[in-house]
Amino acid sequence: MATQTQIATTPQNEAVVEQKIQKLKELYADAPELGKVALEKGLPDLRRELAAATGTQNAGRIGARQGKVSELTGIIPFAKGGAKRLRGLLQALEGNFRGGDVVGTLHDMRFVFLDNDTQLLFATAYDGEWDAYIDDFVTKIPNSMDLIFSNLEGWPGIHNPSVKDFIVKHQIAAEAWYVANPNLTVAETRRLERIGKALDEFLDKVSE
Amino acid sequence: MSSVNEHSGGTVAERAPTLELHEIQATILRPRPAPYFGTHVLLRVGDARPGRAFLRRLTPHIDSAANWWSAVDPWLEVGISYSGLEALGVPQDSLQSFPASFREGMAARARQLGDEGVNDPKNWDRPYGKGEVHIGVSAFSDSEENRRRILGIAREQLAGFSGVSVLAMQDFGAQPGDLNSLGYKDGIDQPAIEGSGVEPLPGQGEPIKAGEFILGYPGEAGSPLPLPQPDILGRNGTFVGFRKYQSRVGAFNRFLQANGRNEAERELLAAKLVGRWRSGAPLTLAPEVDNPALGADPHRNNDFNYSDDPRGRQAPLGCHIRRMNPRDTKLTRLTDVKLHRLIRRGTTYGPPYDSNALSEADDQVPRGAYFLFISAKAMATIEFLQQEWVNDGNFMGLDQERDPIIGLQEEGATFTIPREPVRRRVHGIDTFNVLRGGEYFFMPSLSALRWLGELG
Repeated sequence: MATQTQIATTPQNEAVVEQKIQKLKELYADAPELGKVALEKGLPDLRRELAAATGTQNAGRIGARQGKVSELTGIIPFAKGGAKRLRGLLQALEGNFRGGDVVGTLHDMRFVFLDNDTQLLFATAYDGEWDAYIDDFVTKIPNSMDLIFSNLEGWPGIHNPSVKDFIVKHQIAAEAWYVANPNLTVAETRRLERIGKALDEFLDKVSE
Repeated sequence: MSSVNEHSGGTVAERAPTLELHEIQATILRPRPAPYFGTHVLLRVGDARPGRAFLRRLTPHIDSAANWWSAVDPWLEVGISYSGLEALGVPQDSLQSFPASFREGMAARARQLGDEGVNDPKNWDRPYGKGEVHIGVSAFSDSEENRRRILGIAREQLAGFSGVSVLAMQDFGAQPGDLNSLGYKDGIDQPAIEGSGVEPLPGQGEPIKAGEFILGYPGEAGSPLPLPQPDILGRNGTFVGFRKYQSRVGAFNRFLQANGRNEAERELLAAKLVGRWRSGAPLTLAPEVDNPALGADPHRNNDFNYSDDPRGRQAPLGCHIRRMNPRDTKLTRLTDVKLHRLIRRGTTYGPPYDSNALSEADDQVPRGAYFLFISAKAMATIEFLQQEWVNDGNFMGLDQERDPIIGLQEEGATFTIPREPVRRRVHGIDTFNVLRGGEYFFMPSLSALRWLGELG
């Protein structure tokens, strides 16, 4: 894999960076004074960041991916009474979702109620591609899926083969997606946590 | 002659089979004979009319799965690719009712299958991946004499046609001891299918709903998969992922030599890679030394789970058979193992395994296996397996490690062997089986074959 320093030193890349900066200057020509000044003063930092840009990949049919981690963002209208039910459910869960552990790939999930409780913003970071595992959700956790998502308008039910299309239809690909540790899956993070603890215990014993 | 149904040999159930066995092609349920002899024939249909006439003549010779548990005769099977269905003049609305990945074909799905680098379709042998393979006919038999006889029947149906041409013919089987080209007994673990008429063998696990393997029946999620239309075309059919692998026997032997100091160490390492000794005896039941009698006994050689070996100290978590069927292993991702199984018909070709083959020239010797991976959703399952269980290790908590036997290895690849007190990590594992070609086929029911023959 190419390192950042390699990228920064190629003349070709420098030209690309200069092009990008020209483009940004044009874009910011009608920005508020604050923005224009920030662009000018921030140029050295920005130049470094642009030189190191590596781009995102795609996560399956839609969504962005960095290394092994993908994002899924959707805005979906609530079914009648759905906002009230889902809020009640989430409050009963005390705003947490330990049950999500069982899936083994979810880094996080976010439920945000928009526009006077008429729409749900659902955002999650997860490992790999979701559609490879949708059938496993059907046979393994159908009730958890339907309990949450039946509160959304048009949810066909997890057993309905059109459920994939429902998800894709409401999914909005992120314009940008930053992941600090793109190669660490949930499983790998848990493994490293275990190893870290075991190593500390071992070192404690050795140093006694 | 040893039992034809060596790998299926469960006893016939009290209850009659619920599948329409007389409609379903034999290969779907009948395992290879032991020993096995056979031939794959790949055909191109130049024109729809002679193509359909050929099918009409061939269909009476295609065997059904009726009484598959006791059948002893050699048999013929037939599969048709998407370009084959087009060439036969199947109507547009019918063509469109097939799954998208089947319509695109295996080569076009290379990204989803992880078929890149040496496995990239641009490196494949002719005639694969070009939309030229329209029909695949395979003959399975228990002797060379029967192979010739049954193949002769298939060829007679071709005689006098100019519109159907033979692209390739490949004999398979007839290896000493039925070992595969890396020297292992294979094909042992197959999914048990509900309603197929036999009790599962010990260790085969709970029967899986027939709809996972044959179209028109309820699957594990309760409902049948969408049927290719019309119903008569789709029902009792299934899909086959046909993949040709070439074994790099030299690279495999060099790896064993580099990482085992003596014969015993090398054989243990070879067993750790697969999860079974070459004899077929599973490490879970024979962790220290091989037990050929156990390996040869179909009632015992698959009768285990991993409940006493959660960390893989007997069968490594990343070994081939544990990846392809994790059984009761606790996986890191929510997974229903029953949804990701395939019926496998491995057919070995070329010279037998040679433990003295060490050179790079030995890697070029054409020997390996043609695999038939059979499932009602074969395309989706093969893509899943390639992405999740073959070319990744995350599901077993093994980070980026890949299947040591059929994985596509990257520079610096490793294989972890759990041990007390510390695991051993073997470096320098190479791609031991290179993909040389592949096609998706639809394997129609006997009624569907007649329907196809009488089109137009």
